[in-house]
Amino acid sequence: MLGKLTWSSLPLNQPIPLITSIVLIVIILATLIWLTVKGYWPYLWNEWITSVDHKRIGIMYCVLALIMLIRGFSDAIMMRAQQALAFHSPGYLPPEHFDQIFSAHGTIMIFFVAMPFMIGLMNFAVPLQLGVRDVAFPTFNSVSFWLTAAAVLLVNMSLFVGEFAQTGWLVYPPLSELKFSPGVGVDYYLWSIQISGIGTLLTGVNFVTTILKIRAPGMILTRMPIFCWTALAANLLIVAAFPILTASLGMLLLDRYLDFHFFTVDAGGNPMMFINLIWAWGHPEVYILILPAFGIFSEVISTFSGKPLFGYRSMVVATMAICILSFLVWLHHFFTMGAGADVNGFFGIMTMIIAVPTGVKIFNWLFTMWGGRVRFEVPMLWAIGFMITFLVGGMTGVLLAAPPADFVLHNSLFLVAHFHNVIIGGVLFGAFAGYTYWFPKAFGFRLDDRLGKAAFWFWLVGFYVAFMPLYVLGLEGMTRRMQRYDVPEWQPWLIVAAAGAVLILIGICFQIAQLVVSIRNRESLRDLTGDLWDGRTLEWITTSPPPHFNFAVMPNVTGEEAYWGMKQKAIEQRRLTDLPDYKTIEMPHNSATGFVTAFFAVLTGFALIWHIWWMVIIGLIGAFATFVAFAWRDISEFHLSPEELAEADHLRREARVALVEGREPGITPVEYSGPPAHGSNALSRMEPDAGYKGPASKRITTGYGFWIFLLSDFVLFSGFYASYAVLSHATAGGLSAKGLFDLKTVAVETTFLLLSSFTCGMATIASNVRNMLWTQLSYAATGLLGLGFLFLEVSEFAKMLAEGAGPARSAFLSSFFALVGLHGLHVTVGLLWLGTMMAQFWAKGFRADIMRRGLCFALFWHALDIIWVGIFTNVYLLGTSP
Amino acid sequence: MSEYESETELGIDAAPGDQEAGTHSVAEGVRNYLIGLALAAGLTAGSFWVASGTNLLYVPGVPMALAALAIAQMGVHLAFFLHITTGPDNVNNALALAFGALIVGIVIVGSLWIMYHLNANMMTPNYMMDVHTQP
Repeated sequence: MLGKLTWSSLPLNQPIPLITSIVLIVIILATLIWLTVKGYWPYLWNEWITSVDHKRIGIMYCVLALIMLIRGFSDAIMMRAQQALAFHSPGYLPPEHFDQIFSAHGTIMIFFVAMPFMIGLMNFAVPLQLGVRDVAFPTFNSVSFWLTAAAVLLVNMSLFVGEFAQTGWLVYPPLSELKFSPGVGVDYYLWSIQISGIGTLLTGVNFVTTILKIRAPGMILTRMPIFCWTALAANLLIVAAFPILTASLGMLLLDRYLDFHFFTVDAGGNPMMFINLIWAWGHPEVYILILPAFGIFSEVISTFSGKPLFGYRSMVVATMAICILSFLVWLHHFFTMGAGADVNGFFGIMTMIIAVPTGVKIFNWLFTMWGGRVRFEVPMLWAIGFMITFLVGGMTGVLLAAPPADFVLHNSLFLVAHFHNVIIGGVLFGAFAGYTYWFPKAFGFRLDDRLGKAAFWFWLVGFYVAFMPLYVLGLEGMTRRMQRYDVPEWQPWLIVAAAGAVLILIGICFQIAQLVVSIRNRESLRDLTGDLWDGRTLEWITTSPPPHFNFAVMPNVTGEEAYWGMKQKAIEQRRLTDLPDYKTIEMPHNSATGFVTAFFAVLTGFALIWHIWWMVIIGLIGAFATFVAFAWRDISEFHLSPEELAEADHLRREARVALVEGREPGITPVEYSGPPAHGSNALSRMEPDAGYKGPASKRITTGYGFWIFLLSDFVLFSGFYASYAVLSHATAGGLSAKGLFDLKTVAVETTFLLLSSFTCGMATIASNVRNMLWTQLSYAATGLLGLGFLFLEVSEFAKMLAEGAGPARSAFLSSFFALVGLHGLHVTVGLLWLGTMMAQFWAKGFRADIMRRGLCFALFWHALDIIWVGIFTNVYLLGTSP
Repeated sequence: MSEYESETELGIDAAPGDQEAGTHSVAEGVRNYLIGLALAAGLTAGSFWVASGTNLLYVPGVPMALAALAIAQMGVHLAFFLHITTGPDNVNNALALAFGALIVGIVIVGSLWIMYHLNANMMTPNYMMDVHTQP
């Protein structure tokens, strides 16, 4: 009934997890009771949990990241304490607990601190900087967040129920295979990351589409703030890299759950393939984290130096170069695995090359500061601290990029020091800079200065004290992840490092104090101008906090640094511009879809981890039902009248008028200088900047978003395909392709799929001319052909299983079943989708939103055919050809 | 954000999968799909014929021929079914496709290259690693 779940899964005899669990449960219960007593639930539900507002979602991401930072940091300080004590002694953490802690620390810090922090800041700032009202797919944005939160819940559940992985944060097989890790720890890891991976992928699709298709009028790509460029690059990396993670973890799951042999040591499995694939995701991942941070630093340094960013175009080129190059360096994570001199040489050189665009950026920031009037506000402190720290980390990285040096330093604490140097000094400092920089925009009051500076200095000094000793220890030969050691020379350095962790702890305490004090003193810290820092990008044109619709009229962009240009013009003319022409706008309704999906995701994930199969089925049906309900809704938007907008905008203009009178020195009067985007004379006045005329239509946006999703799906298949190609000769003495495949069946399957592509095209044509009969007939034919294909595939699989040629037989058959089965799974999903869509067309006619779904379905179905061409050629034909 | 719906004509842009402006008539649309179907069917038949072990082809050339036919057929599907063109309204769609293709290529070719060298250097032929063939 409850699968593997028993009373012994609870940590009743382990004091540390038990006490932590009890304390946390008490805190959570107390919070819930407090919320109930105070009657905050309706507010929370309506304003936050179901909100699809990008600013709210961004804030929730950041809150999630900050909470998990505390969790991840407590793991860190426990490890530092253990290693400071564990000379010739077992310390206070038993090995199996220590192993869980370092695995959880890495997992949490990367997936649930760095990622949500960066995604949260992008969520908050990118649409504002683009001058638009929301992201391309607001509800999916909420789904993304809640899936991430679901994964966080699952990871933390492992503290109370069961255990976490003891394998390190990337669960290398064969250690993570069922044979060597029979517990639920690895399963907790795998399902959490898969769930949050779906959320992250949706974010990537969402933001690529938003940045490329939805910008304020006149904002051609080369006028975008640099943070939007880095967000674009990071999200392109997400859609390109995360499917590889999903694929490699998916294969490991198949190994663990269904007795496949991708990475096992027997039956021809190849653990090195996992390490290859996971780093093909893993290296782009570090750039997914650092690129948005680079963008934040660019904004911060330019703002607080009072100068435009030096070398804007070189910054753009450097960002996009990193975006591509980051896919060509992944082997440097496993130089020592034995690929040989030529392969190592190539990846070593590529790694050194990728330091070049990063160096370009450092010089750009330096030259931005040079000759500027630098204001040492807290965000700027983080930025300067970053430049120095990141430089050190970058240099040790280039050192590690030389394969001979890496052979000495691989897996040592030198490496640990290096990546903390770039991740703390780069990503985390960037997140803190962005947090302090945009906090006043998000809440309308600034964070306390003195406490912020104290936090910064403790973090900076604490970082150096904690991690510089690790470089020394690495050179002295200490490897990472040691629960105890017998080398007396190491202990003093480890004690210093632990002291550094304490300094960081003080820094964190100052940050918490800063937040509390700032909230209490919010009246005296309030910013009425909306432009606290004398900013240069469009988020500073609106009020702080911005109204839920961001801009009453979309700003008209006429150059780089859109807002700065308007501000300068306003200063010259010494007046606010005329009232714009307010037009009715539509905003998306709140939706519980995200929250409900996440609920079912937690249910499904938990059930899968503990092998509670009936609950898995309930969870999956629930998730599908949620999406059908979402797709079925009739009203997705509400209107804001010009009067409401005028009233809201009036208040904003009042504040600006006060500024014209020079109440606050150093801050200048500001107003839109161009005509409003939808004004009567907008087009004629915009002629010189006619390169980009504003957000694309919903049809284009939806289609493009789905297109980006499909590309990520291709990458998913490429992961499975690469595994098939590598493992296709690992038959483990069993049958090879020649004796197994029946080309006649494949020919019929191919015919079915090709014909269904044609009938799907007919349905597209029929729905475009609004012919219901032909639309339904063509879709029905598509569905029947798809069913026929599936039937043939299932019977082929059944026959092979009956003959003993199942996935458990060999790595070759594992990869075959996974690759072809994944395609079959896509066809199944397509058929479910098709059925729902046909019902919708039938019930609601040719409504625009259903038509858009039809467009996406057609893309999906045709893409499946393209993937099948790859499969039948490479698997069936190539496998059986002479 | 359907306020933008009315602005469809503003930009030079098309949704992926939408046919070019100018091929709006049903007959033209159907003809387009029929051409695509015929070409794809022809290329598929060609692939199966090449793989069937015909004597007309130089045997080591078979994989190359299959790859060429498969890539050609993918192109046919992209052009006639997915309506991805090289026109100015499709720049974004084509660029995204090119990026995706680049990544797919890097993942597959890179993995094969790396794994080939790892296998060659690390001396773990399958018959040694494999419990099924161990005495």
